[in-house]
Amino acid sequence: MAKEMVLSGCAASAQAAKMAKVEVICSYPIRPYTALMMELAKMVANGELDAEFIYGEGEHAQLSVVLGASAAGARVLTGSSGVGVTYAFETYSPIAGGRVPVQMMIADRALDPPGDFGSEHTDAMSCRDQGWLMGWAENPQEAFDNCLINYRVGEDHRVLLPQFVCQDGYFVSHIPGKVLLPDQSQVDEFLPPYTLPHPLDPKHPVSHGPQIRPDQGTIMDLQRAQAHLDAPAVIKEAIADFNRIFGRDYSPFVEEYMTDDAEMAFFIMGAHTMTARHAIKHLRSKGVKIGLVKLRFLRPWPTQEVAEALSKFKAVGVVETSTSYGGAMRGGNLLHEVRASLYDLPQRPLTTSFMAGLGGEMVPLKDFYYMAEILSKMIKEGKTKKTVHWVGFEAEA
Amino acid sequence: MAVAVKTQNLPLIKKIRNIPKEEYYVPGHRTCAGCGPALQYKLVAKAAGPNTIFLGPTGCMYVANASYLCTPYAVPWMHTQITNAGAVASGVEAAYQVLIRKGKWEGELPNVIVMAGDGGSVDIGLQAMSGMMYRGHDALFICYDNEAYANTGIQTSPTTPYGANTTFTPPGPAIPEGKKLFPKDPPQLVIGGHPAVKYVATASVAYPVDLMNKVRKALNVQGPTFLHIHCPCPKGWKFEESKTVEIAKLAIQTGMWILYEWENGEYKYQHKPKEYKPVREYMKLQGRFAHLQEAHIAKMQAFVDAKLKAPGIPVEIPVPPPRAQA
Repeated sequence: MAKEMVLSGCAASAQAAKMAKVEVICSYPIRPYTALMMELAKMVANGELDAEFIYGEGEHAQLSVVLGASAAGARVLTGSSGVGVTYAFETYSPIAGGRVPVQMMIADRALDPPGDFGSEHTDAMSCRDQGWLMGWAENPQEAFDNCLINYRVGEDHRVLLPQFVCQDGYFVSHIPGKVLLPDQSQVDEFLPPYTLPHPLDPKHPVSHGPQIRPDQGTIMDLQRAQAHLDAPAVIKEAIADFNRIFGRDYSPFVEEYMTDDAEMAFFIMGAHTMTARHAIKHLRSKGVKIGLVKLRFLRPWPTQEVAEALSKFKAVGVVETSTSYGGAMRGGNLLHEVRASLYDLPQRPLTTSFMAGLGGEMVPLKDFYYMAEILSKMIKEGKTKKTVHWVGFEAEA
Repeated sequence: MAVAVKTQNLPLIKKIRNIPKEEYYVPGHRTCAGCGPALQYKLVAKAAGPNTIFLGPTGCMYVANASYLCTPYAVPWMHTQITNAGAVASGVEAAYQVLIRKGKWEGELPNVIVMAGDGGSVDIGLQAMSGMMYRGHDALFICYDNEAYANTGIQTSPTTPYGANTTFTPPGPAIPEGKKLFPKDPPQLVIGGHPAVKYVATASVAYPVDLMNKVRKALNVQGPTFLHIHCPCPKGWKFEESKTVEIAKLAIQTGMWILYEWENGEYKYQHKPKEYKPVREYMKLQGRFAHLQEAHIAKMQAFVDAKLKAPGIPVEIPVPPPRAQA
């Protein structure tokens, strides 16, 4: 029987990996994702999970171990946070380009300097263009669900891509929430056993990753890009099946909240969505016509869905929890992609970005009220004065 | 918990005519004429046989061997980064442990072999190699040592000998000997710090039967093993392509390379000369040493003399390292 439990994001991810019958796990400690590995280590020690638990000698090794194991035909899991995510950077392109569908759970943490335990999306966002599937969970339940959904999509032979399954450090990874744990039979119905078209198997010799000439490179890049074009259809299938089997109500790519008659909206992903919902409820009670659009998959970026969702507003505030120093918008990266998605529309909303929650700072309700004020002002003035607002650090909006 | 245990016992080869005819490293690659590393690859693959998976970190044996659509491997092979061969091999071995245990794959645990150059073993690849050895994975890590980063244009590596002229250690009026540092000792790095390792050996392309038997002994052992194989490189060391085996033999005859096995703490020597020739005999055939003066050759001789006392005994470097001089 499905049962309700109260679990942190890390514990929920561990439960999901266990129910996915993960076979090779590679660990290395760094806060906050470490709690995932501590849970899995206990499951292996208690005999609840039959998996190889490998102590990697660093994040680079973690990714390398699961690459080898996945290429040999085992379902794998690894994970990291912050500078651990960037330490492994070399491996991300070979894994995605090799079309080896490993899963990596990222519980975000700010990058150095200086040392900071706080959550910030910059660690994972820095790796977004290597060809991995990627998306954020808002709460432990979504962290659990995204683990299963990503295995299903990434391992699908029409896709074959690795997956960054992200959750905000602490806000999701360590704050317990209600998680509906399904029956094993439901998971088995949703997630077929892992197979690879050409595993490293002495009975069927293959060569993986031979050296190519420069003129042979484009086609491989094109194929990796094509996998991201093919993935959305597979994601839609998977979400439809997931909703049916587990009784959930997910949209594949973007979720809307209180947008029906909204003039303006927050565009957001991850943990702070929860606070934004509360802020919107309060603002609505004061008569402010505001809603939110939550992004579920950053890669592949759902261009059309984002355009459709945002085109109906007069102003959109992109809540950035990552940095893009010196970038076109002078803030984070999301606004770049949002504006690119809207560019071809005949009628575009005004857009700006809010740098919030950097370094792991809370984004309290009052910050969302402030953001809403700026959006109202933009609508009133009919223009975007600034593309970036460092919330709490600007003298005048 | 059930463990996939290797039961294979690859028989040792008595004479060169008993070497199996089957090739698992076949023609079609683009290595240089007289390539020592390619020669050892062929012998290692023959010795290991069909139930083998090779991991090939970046290096000569990747760049020159594994060209798309004409790779020479008749067994599964995968490229790894130059940094992470030991870790990828660990993952492959771990996968087979669990797949065999769960009945998802039937057969003997495959021979998992890393074929790494000196850089991929004891320089940028050291951490991953050490991790594999520490964790006790049932895999063989081979360092095919051509004593330089050769495919990038002959740059010094931690096994490049003292006095060698490489493109990062060119001799000049200020630094007449070229390379001032003395090399790392790969097998001692493995033996010294990895209690899970039960078998380590050195080998040379000059002695193919010895080399193949060491591969088989390493593969018969359960747990991590290490082979350090001397592979002369005509391009990097600057000698005639026809002299690869001759140079390899001279290395052993002069004590520049020592053939030994280390098994459960015991050393055994192979092809140990009764009397060593002077290192000059070995060095004079190689352009990389052509610039050296008598004093430099004397330093090399002193280093080799000290090293010949026994493997495992720390060798004092006859010249202070450059930082100490400064």
